[in-house]
Amino acid sequence: MGSSSSSLNNVPDGQQLMQETGFSAAHLLRLYERFKFLDKDNRGHLRSEDFEAVPELSENPIGDRIVGAFFLPGQETVDFSSFVRVLAHFRPTEKNRTRAGAQPDPANSRNRKLKFAFRLYDQDRDGKISRIELLQVLREMLGMQVTEEQLQSIADRAIQEADLDKDDAISFDEFRKSLEKVNIDHKMSIRFLE
Amino acid sequence: MAALWPFPLLISESLWACLALTLPDGYPEPHNGPPTAGFNYSHVDPSVDQPSALRVFSLDYHHVQAPFEIVLWIMLASLAKLGFHWSGRVPAIVPESCVLIMVGLLVGGVIYGVRHSAPPTLSADAFFLFLLPPIVLDAGYFLPGRLFFENLGTILWYAVLGTLWNVLGIGLSLYGVCLLAPSSLGDISLLHCLLFGSLIAAVDPVAVLSVFQEMHVNEQLHILVFGESLLNDAVTVVLYKLFESFLRLPSVTGLDVLVGGCRVVVVGLGGLFVGLFFGLVAALTSRFTFRAQVIAPLFVFLYSYLSYLTSEMLHFSGIVAIVTCAVTMKQYVEANVSERSNTSIQYFLKMWSSVSETLIFIFLGVSTIQDIHMWSWPFVCSTLLLCLVWRATGVLLLTAVVNKLRRNAVTFRDQFIIAYGGLRGAICFSLVFLIDDFPKKRLFITTTIVVILFTVFVQGMTIKPLVELLGVKRKKRALPTVSEEIHSRVLDHLLSGIEDVVGYWGQHYWKDRFEQFNKKYLRRFLIGEHHQTHSSILRVYQEVERREQQGVEETPPAVDAHSSSRPLLPEEMDSIRRILSRNLQNFNNKQMPAYSRHTLHQDLTTDEMRKPLHRHQSLTERCTYHTITYCPQRVDGEFSKSCRGRARLSRSHTVCSASPRWSERPDSLVPAALNHTQPSDPGPAEEEQDSPQRRTQIERATKKQLSFILENEKPL
Repeated sequence: MGSSSSSLNNVPDGQQLMQETGFSAAHLLRLYERFKFLDKDNRGHLRSEDFEAVPELSENPIGDRIVGAFFLPGQETVDFSSFVRVLAHFRPTEKNRTRAGAQPDPANSRNRKLKFAFRLYDQDRDGKISRIELLQVLREMLGMQVTEEQLQSIADRAIQEADLDKDDAISFDEFRKSLEKVNIDHKMSIRFLE
Repeated sequence: MAALWPFPLLISESLWACLALTLPDGYPEPHNGPPTAGFNYSHVDPSVDQPSALRVFSLDYHHVQAPFEIVLWIMLASLAKLGFHWSGRVPAIVPESCVLIMVGLLVGGVIYGVRHSAPPTLSADAFFLFLLPPIVLDAGYFLPGRLFFENLGTILWYAVLGTLWNVLGIGLSLYGVCLLAPSSLGDISLLHCLLFGSLIAAVDPVAVLSVFQEMHVNEQLHILVFGESLLNDAVTVVLYKLFESFLRLPSVTGLDVLVGGCRVVVVGLGGLFVGLFFGLVAALTSRFTFRAQVIAPLFVFLYSYLSYLTSEMLHFSGIVAIVTCAVTMKQYVEANVSERSNTSIQYFLKMWSSVSETLIFIFLGVSTIQDIHMWSWPFVCSTLLLCLVWRATGVLLLTAVVNKLRRNAVTFRDQFIIAYGGLRGAICFSLVFLIDDFPKKRLFITTTIVVILFTVFVQGMTIKPLVELLGVKRKKRALPTVSEEIHSRVLDHLLSGIEDVVGYWGQHYWKDRFEQFNKKYLRRFLIGEHHQTHSSILRVYQEVERREQQGVEETPPAVDAHSSSRPLLPEEMDSIRRILSRNLQNFNNKQMPAYSRHTLHQDLTTDEMRKPLHRHQSLTERCTYHTITYCPQRVDGEFSKSCRGRARLSRSHTVCSASPRWSERPDSLVPAALNHTQPSDPGPAEEEQDSPQRRTQIERATKKQLSFILENEKPL
């Protein structure tokens, strides 16, 4: 794209976002186009209705949590920088760590990815996944397939396995530990955003 | 114990010696004929006049000859397999395929020595129609679906392009070798070389399976090698038939080559569609089997075999068809049929594929003993060398390209194992027999046999030490955890959602679309209404619970002291009973695919439970752990003593490590159960609800009650 640098000027805070998130100019442009596509009324920011207009997202069991993750606490709208910052978590991790101008803790590091996932569960932001929060997520995902009792048993079992300090809740460290065998870099990356 | 293992072999050898002696004459000779009156042997030749007197005993071998011999062969194969597994050290060093080929060589040698003529060889028809389908069906049924589809692009890349590269490379190079030695090899034409290349280049799924199953390499590597060996059948079939028909044609034009190229696509896709069709029909049929559950497993086999035969009839790839059929029908059939039928299906699959594989290797050994070998040093050695070289270069080149497109790069170590693990097997062998006769056919047969023996013996035996030497990543032996499964599923949904937001049609997007389609149309149509759909979380949870009850769980689960105890309603007891019985009979082990030829997952655990006391001791430690959280320390010693006393009892008592939540519940059961408790129990009064001894009582009563339930429900 020969005119990438000039088009990048249309993107608000383009250079700064590139630096911060590690996206290339081409990617940023693509994301900006997507942002404009989602922003049907051309307001310059997205509201939750715009997200809900994405058809497949409404069928996603945890769709509303994902949408909620884009919005900073207390905010009703998502501007482009927040949009990009959230999506930066899903960039595939670079194999060579030394990249010019890379942030010390880039958004797509394993830790930050896990933190993002953790916040999906922990809606009240108290730093722990309580039993109730876990049950909510389980209910959303399993829905009609299991009885309430089975849900309770499953939640019990999950907390038993992960909860090391016996406080009946899963802290971030315990969450991270229970996922240590999973290849998070692989699982939480989208090739599109490389 | 190690000294006993030759006995099955000796028995089978003597069986065969008898048979060898009897076969040429057509009627049996008495070995130690007791001189009793009326003990007579009938002549088989019907033209001879029969004596008019009635006979008390008579022997008519001819009547049962064909099935008798088949059974004897299968018996030989199975006894050899038994002997192999009974010996301690041998399985660790020598893969099973090698031992079986050696047994086959022995038997072939015996038969040859006795009869002075070539022993029966493996007919191509018998191989392709009877021996190969069970193995491929078993492989397809237990294929780890998700891993396979994630790597499908790479697998197809290796299968199609890799095979093409190998075929053309080996064929052309061999032709070059033939040109260089015109004296002995001059009459082998280019087409013959290409034909030979097409059959020798194909990696054989049977050999790969039997060697890789014992190695436990990481799943990605396994699925790449194994998937490639399954899917390259399409290319091999087409190329072989193509070159064969070219040989029959007077001349070959460019158009024919183009048609040949189209045929690859047609063969592959045709096999796929045939498999899909039969898979869906099988799923639909299984929906209606709940009134006649006994024959439900039969449908699985019938439909799969039908798909294989149909695609063979249409000259499509039978292997692709049968694998597709198995993959398609699996989830619907498993949901539709009862637990016992599921078990039957899995056991029969394992059994048949096991017997098949054993027979194939034994026949490979027997067929090596031939009259008709033709040897040529340059041809044989160059074939061997070229096979290795071309495979190595092919894998290197293809991986270099495909790594740019993959998320998880295939490392150099993995590449080496992929190249080195390209074993040839019985498919090459059968294909070479099917070639139209021409002067050098015997040379081809000999060369094929040498290549097969080389790859199976040398590569098969050395690959395991190499894997360890190179430090190839092995399969993670971690037990599945429910929390891992939950988080993985959440992440899957998260990624699908993010892909939707970004508008990228990636892997998760397509997987999700397929799941939606599946749920809305397929499952509704193909699964009976009264069968639940199981989420993978539920499956993992049930799996974990089952393991814990059977005492395999390594970490003692922490007890949640704050969970409320509710009185147990009859409905809840029913659901517990159902969950328990389903757990114990639930073999859907999604975390560790049952590649092993010898055991299903259940067998592993039941074998472990039969081990003596020390195993049960560790179980009782777990029992005590459970009770520690309820009762204070002073009761601990008493309980552990009585629990240990019960450790010698039957398997069902391992249920003692029941989930703590359940053990709190059955207050209603306790009065009934207390009648069963042994006099050694400390007997408190029933009314003291909160006494710790009461809790141990409940726990023990629960154990007895649950084990009572299980003994009723589980006729294992």
